[in-house]
Amino acid sequence: MWEIFSNDGRTAIDVEYSRYRRSPGGKRAGDRMNRRLIIAGLAARPVRTTVSIMAVALEVILILTIIGLANGITNETGRRTEGVGADIMFQAPGSSLLLALNNSTLPIALGNKIRDVEGIKAVAPVQLQVNASNGLEVVYGIEPKTFDEITGGFIWHGGRSFSGPDEVLVDDLYARSKGLSTGDSVDILGHKFKVAGVVEHGKGARLYIPLKTAQAMAGTANRASLFYIKLNNPDRLNDVIDRMKKEFPAYRMLPLKEYTMLMMSNNMPALEAFIKIVVFIAVFIGVLVIFLSMYMTITERTREIGILRSLGASKWFIVTLIFQETAVVCVVGIVIGIVASFLIARGVTAMFPTLLVLITATWVTKASIFALLSGLIGTLYPSLKAAAQDPVEAIAYE
Amino acid sequence: MILETIDLRKTYKLGKVDVEALRGVNLRIREGELVAIKGPSGCGKSTLMHILGAMARPTYGKALISGQSIGDMNDRQLTQVRRRNIGFVFQKSNLLPTLTVRDNIEIARHIHGAAGDSKDQDSSGIAQLLMIQDKMGHKPSELSGGEQQRVAIARAVVNRPSILLADEPTGNLDSRNSEIVLDMFRELNRKLRQTIVLVTHNPDLIAYAGRLIEMRDGMIVADSVCRQTFTDE
Repeated sequence: MWEIFSNDGRTAIDVEYSRYRRSPGGKRAGDRMNRRLIIAGLAARPVRTTVSIMAVALEVILILTIIGLANGITNETGRRTEGVGADIMFQAPGSSLLLALNNSTLPIALGNKIRDVEGIKAVAPVQLQVNASNGLEVVYGIEPKTFDEITGGFIWHGGRSFSGPDEVLVDDLYARSKGLSTGDSVDILGHKFKVAGVVEHGKGARLYIPLKTAQAMAGTANRASLFYIKLNNPDRLNDVIDRMKKEFPAYRMLPLKEYTMLMMSNNMPALEAFIKIVVFIAVFIGVLVIFLSMYMTITERTREIGILRSLGASKWFIVTLIFQETAVVCVVGIVIGIVASFLIARGVTAMFPTLLVLITATWVTKASIFALLSGLIGTLYPSLKAAAQDPVEAIAYE
Repeated sequence: MILETIDLRKTYKLGKVDVEALRGVNLRIREGELVAIKGPSGCGKSTLMHILGAMARPTYGKALISGQSIGDMNDRQLTQVRRRNIGFVFQKSNLLPTLTVRDNIEIARHIHGAAGDSKDQDSSGIAQLLMIQDKMGHKPSELSGGEQQRVAIARAVVNRPSILLADEPTGNLDSRNSEIVLDMFRELNRKLRQTIVLVTHNPDLIAYAGRLIEMRDGMIVADSVCRQTFTDE
């Protein structure tokens, strides 16, 4: 037989009760209890927990890598275009900002008229071609002389400029990614080219072919996709554009700095829509997986929830417990997702030097918030369902 | 009266059929009483316990806990009554399988809002009372049925509820464990004047109870005083 009463006449339970009633660490202990409850719940179902964490991580990876890749490509394209050194880009009416998507062309003869506008130092026609075999590359068809007037000339890693129609210049990153060097053959748009030289990257494209060859391949003889324009005095940019607009009112003239800024931001209409779609899909996946996971959990733990309710746990207690559990899953998933995204970005750049995955702090924050939100949205219904359970029915659940 | 029912009725819907679990139960239990309820399976014992434990509302009539009508309470108020006034021991121990014994006891304190900062201090006394002090770090699955039920009793009494309800607490136990549980109830009633209502078929428990209520077909058919227990009169 055990003895309930202590020496001072109080019961053992009274002594215990007064002890914890007096305790200053009651809240801390409560928090610890909550943590143990959450961790025990997660640890008891390792497969479900792992799958949920991986789903959140996947959501973060999806957002960071796809948007990082889109941003990286546009950003890098912007930098490369800026690297051409021109002040103005001159395009046909209705042309796209995404140069690779352009079909409109301009007559080469227009270049001479542009050159006559006061304040213009040099004009270089460029015929764009998109090489979709082995990735997506914009190929510049150029006249070396006029292109050099704009760019100040290539920095050579090896070789020389074109001396024939079937020669190509490649930049150092493209050469490295494809293992090319001077004298090698390369297939571009079904046309065999010989690498005449390797140049420093950063001047518009990664591949340069003679303008006439590009025109012949595109079936646009004596035409160009755009003109790069260099001014005598870049400070007079607006004056020159005003004059050009009078001369060529229907054409599109964009200061290169403005173009670069547009390419480096997420404000480009096409990119913005793409990003919204990617984020929506990623969040949708996250919501679905967390919903399914938590719904399963609630069903599996019906009896446990009934026990907690029978002990006097409020609906709010149940809801917050489930939300806290989801929050733990989300935080772990987010951390794994961010780390994995950076590793993937490194891997992509190592495997494909011409691709850049640009993961910014802003998008890391956004992806984390989206992942957390999707977790919370996915948990809302299951947690409310759990809290609404009748304790008697829940305890009887098998 | 700590517990009182007046013409208490409870009807369940099973598909399209109404099942009357309780058909006009009138009951008055004073503080400090140890009341045993017995009756055949399906006679409404558990339903009565669930209503007395503020886990279900009556369909008709009144159930009063310390003078407060359960039927008039909203969910939040019922939850508070369960938390503050009721300790419930089920036939199955109904412990949380993912938590240790210590945490199963602590969770009741946590919900009650009385968790301390030292788990050893918090639980050791109660654990000693129930001879489970060396099992505190174990999971329920590592305990015998008797030990699990003792943990469930520890959890039920740890917040000093004014009413302890036990639905066939020894139903799944062997005689030795039944005796330990019986001792526990006896001591709680004798020394703490704990009001205890238990559903049981255990003759030893019935023999000790101050009062025996017999139920049949959702009604009380006999209510007899067996021997003196602590009451408020």
